[in-house]
Amino acid sequence: MNERPVRLVLRDDLRRSRLTVFFRLFLAIPHLFWFWIWASAVSATVFVQWLVTVVRARPITALNTFHVHFVRYGAQLTAYVALAANPFPGFLGEPGYPVEVEIDPAERQSRLSAGFRLLLAIPALWMLALVNSVAIGGAFAVFLVGAGVVFTAAFLGWFAALVRGTMPRGLRNIAAYGIRYTAEVWAYLLLVVERYPSSDPTLPGEAGALPFRPIRLVVTDDRRRSRLTTFFRGFLVVPHIVWLVLWGVVVVLAVLVNWFVLLARGRGVSALDRFVAAYLRYQLHVAAFLWLIANPFPGFAGRQGYPVDLEIDRPDRQARLVTAFRLFLAIPSWIISGALQWLVLAAGIGGWFAALVTGRMPEGLRNAGAHGLRYVAQANGYAYLLTDRYPFAGPPTEAQPPQLLLDEAP
Amino acid sequence: MKLPSAVGTAAVVGAGAFAWIAGAVALWPTEVPGDLRLPHVDAAGLFTPAQLHEAERFETFLRWNGILSELVVLVVLTIYARGGTRFIRESAAGRIGTGMLLGMLGLGILWFTQVPFGLAALWWERRHGIVDVGYVEWFVGYWFGLAGEFGFICLALLIVMVCAGQLRDRWWVAGAPAFVALYALFAWSYPYLVPDLRPLRDPELRAASQRFARAQGIDPVPVSVEDVSAFTNAPNAEAAGTGGSRRIILWNTLLDGRFPDHEVEVVIAHELGHQSRDHVLKSIGWYALLAVPGTFAIALATRRQGSLREARAVPVALFVFVALSLAAQPLQAFVARRMEAEADWVALETTKDPRSARTLFEHFTTEALADPSPPRWSALLFDTHPSTLQRIEMAEAWRIRRGR
Repeated sequence: MNERPVRLVLRDDLRRSRLTVFFRLFLAIPHLFWFWIWASAVSATVFVQWLVTVVRARPITALNTFHVHFVRYGAQLTAYVALAANPFPGFLGEPGYPVEVEIDPAERQSRLSAGFRLLLAIPALWMLALVNSVAIGGAFAVFLVGAGVVFTAAFLGWFAALVRGTMPRGLRNIAAYGIRYTAEVWAYLLLVVERYPSSDPTLPGEAGALPFRPIRLVVTDDRRRSRLTTFFRGFLVVPHIVWLVLWGVVVVLAVLVNWFVLLARGRGVSALDRFVAAYLRYQLHVAAFLWLIANPFPGFAGRQGYPVDLEIDRPDRQARLVTAFRLFLAIPSWIISGALQWLVLAAGIGGWFAALVTGRMPEGLRNAGAHGLRYVAQANGYAYLLTDRYPFAGPPTEAQPPQLLLDEAP
Repeated sequence: MKLPSAVGTAAVVGAGAFAWIAGAVALWPTEVPGDLRLPHVDAAGLFTPAQLHEAERFETFLRWNGILSELVVLVVLTIYARGGTRFIRESAAGRIGTGMLLGMLGLGILWFTQVPFGLAALWWERRHGIVDVGYVEWFVGYWFGLAGEFGFICLALLIVMVCAGQLRDRWWVAGAPAFVALYALFAWSYPYLVPDLRPLRDPELRAASQRFARAQGIDPVPVSVEDVSAFTNAPNAEAAGTGGSRRIILWNTLLDGRFPDHEVEVVIAHELGHQSRDHVLKSIGWYALLAVPGTFAIALATRRQGSLREARAVPVALFVFVALSLAAQPLQAFVARRMEAEADWVALETTKDPRSARTLFEHFTTEALADPSPPRWSALLFDTHPSTLQRIEMAEAWRIRRGR
């Protein structure tokens, strides 16, 4: 990850001041106003920078520094508003904030890439809209489902930080991912860097490894994609959707029975657990196939061995209290699932075009999609009573093998 | 005593052939008098040279476009039958799932090859004002239609491969009845699947429909109107459903004022003729007669690939299925023409109005550009209705026979 020209730096200790959390949006007002002024200036300077870069293939250093500070300030401000960091940030984008970005010095750039920068940035901006902001939708339900990951992390983190005085690490990390991606896109757009933004969610080691969960994702996918099956992907999945729905009806009944059994003896029926686990695995296979996170047409039985697969530990004893209120406790995880499904959708659509042209799925999109699917699977496993361990929203870190998004063993 | 296998096979084949012929004989009769001789009617006396030229030109293009597209289908499926198995590597599913994938991919490749022909036909029909569908709208509809085809082929392969898993080469013994049952289910449910249906409101036409039903010896059949004006201005109607789902469906393009009521009454009587003579049920019967040898032939053709128990047999099966469907097309067209002729005759007997029938069929040529006398080879191979001229001749024959 170090070769990235825009890098995330995490020095945050997760502690939050309840008072500043409560008033966070209001406290940010002067910053938001200042950001608006700064952004207005940047909208003029970037045009000058663009002209100069196209002509002499190198940006003006002074303007580049100005833009670097703007990008860094934007990241700091977002981290503050989204509760990914605690202290009130400075107004000049100086280094030293607990959540910020490091940006490499300006280098020569290809004139062609600089000339078409705005056009080239469209896919990244589109992805950014899904990662970072709120999808269009009038109804409140659509609003929540369509919320980007940063907004969702901030929304849920606000309640958590108010109660606990700390930000949950998963929410902080997912927000940090959004902040880094935003900074990469802006740095690219403002001609600060030439390298295309990567949607890969992998975070620096300081973010902390994924905690152990009984439901883990294993990715052995080689990123090769058949162009033919890619083209028809949306329709090839039709029989699987039918089967998912039919199987799902029985799974609902199985989960209901297991709920009563769990309440009575603190442990579910093994056969039902296996049945539901197979369904959960099958759900993941179908989603991975549909959104191009994996290549082969999946089987219908949810057996292990698919290139994007789940390891599901045998369910252990579960706390009766957590079981009793599982449906309500699962609500926040569904909200995060909703946001991450937009990420999966964006990865799938972006990957569709890329795979059609190159026959391969870009690593960043594949990993972003895999991260989204991992969380959705853990959230569903929690709702299906396969575990009482709450899903972890944060992405994997550099400490983990990049090809194998295997969660850490206990 | 155990019979030698050759004798046993011959006995089974003989019994099958006998059953097939008996079935065909049972389905064959129509009410059109066997001794009916159609008088010659000169198309030049009914239509202007410009109208005849326009209709002929219109249908010639569509005919050759259709023939070319069928040839391309055969070529593409031949290639797919030889090389389609390489897509097995794109599957992590078991034999049935992989078979489904190969079936869907085969249809997907066909879809690609048919796009130019579909666009050409659309362009031609738009040019002649027959349809109003835009190119994008058509493409979107064509694209989403593929989802339905994928769903259908998955269901078909599920049935076949489950049967083949148990019965191997003899899967057709169970597969054919399953397909016939599905066909019957579809025939029954079809009226419920048609969107934008509303009841016929015109009280005179409704009264005529009830009168005609009684005259044809059946209970009144509901008449519905389908709104197709967003896509086409061509007139059409159909008899759909069986038993309790029976229905006459009129396209609203028949009721837009271009066709007077007495002509629409002929259409209703014709569609009621289909219902009163059980043509939907007979179609199921004919489908059964074709499904049994058809599935047997597919089973035979896929033996070398290990039968349809194996996914690798699917591309070959797809090719054989389509080839057989094309080969059976003339027979299906012939049967359909007989049923249409019977419905025309029943309509004449019901309405006793050959003049309206005649003007209705003339209208079909002027409004829908139906070629009144297409080439004989084309009619034999493809046409599911008697030509406009033959229908006018039948109306004339009825008039002469009844002395009106």
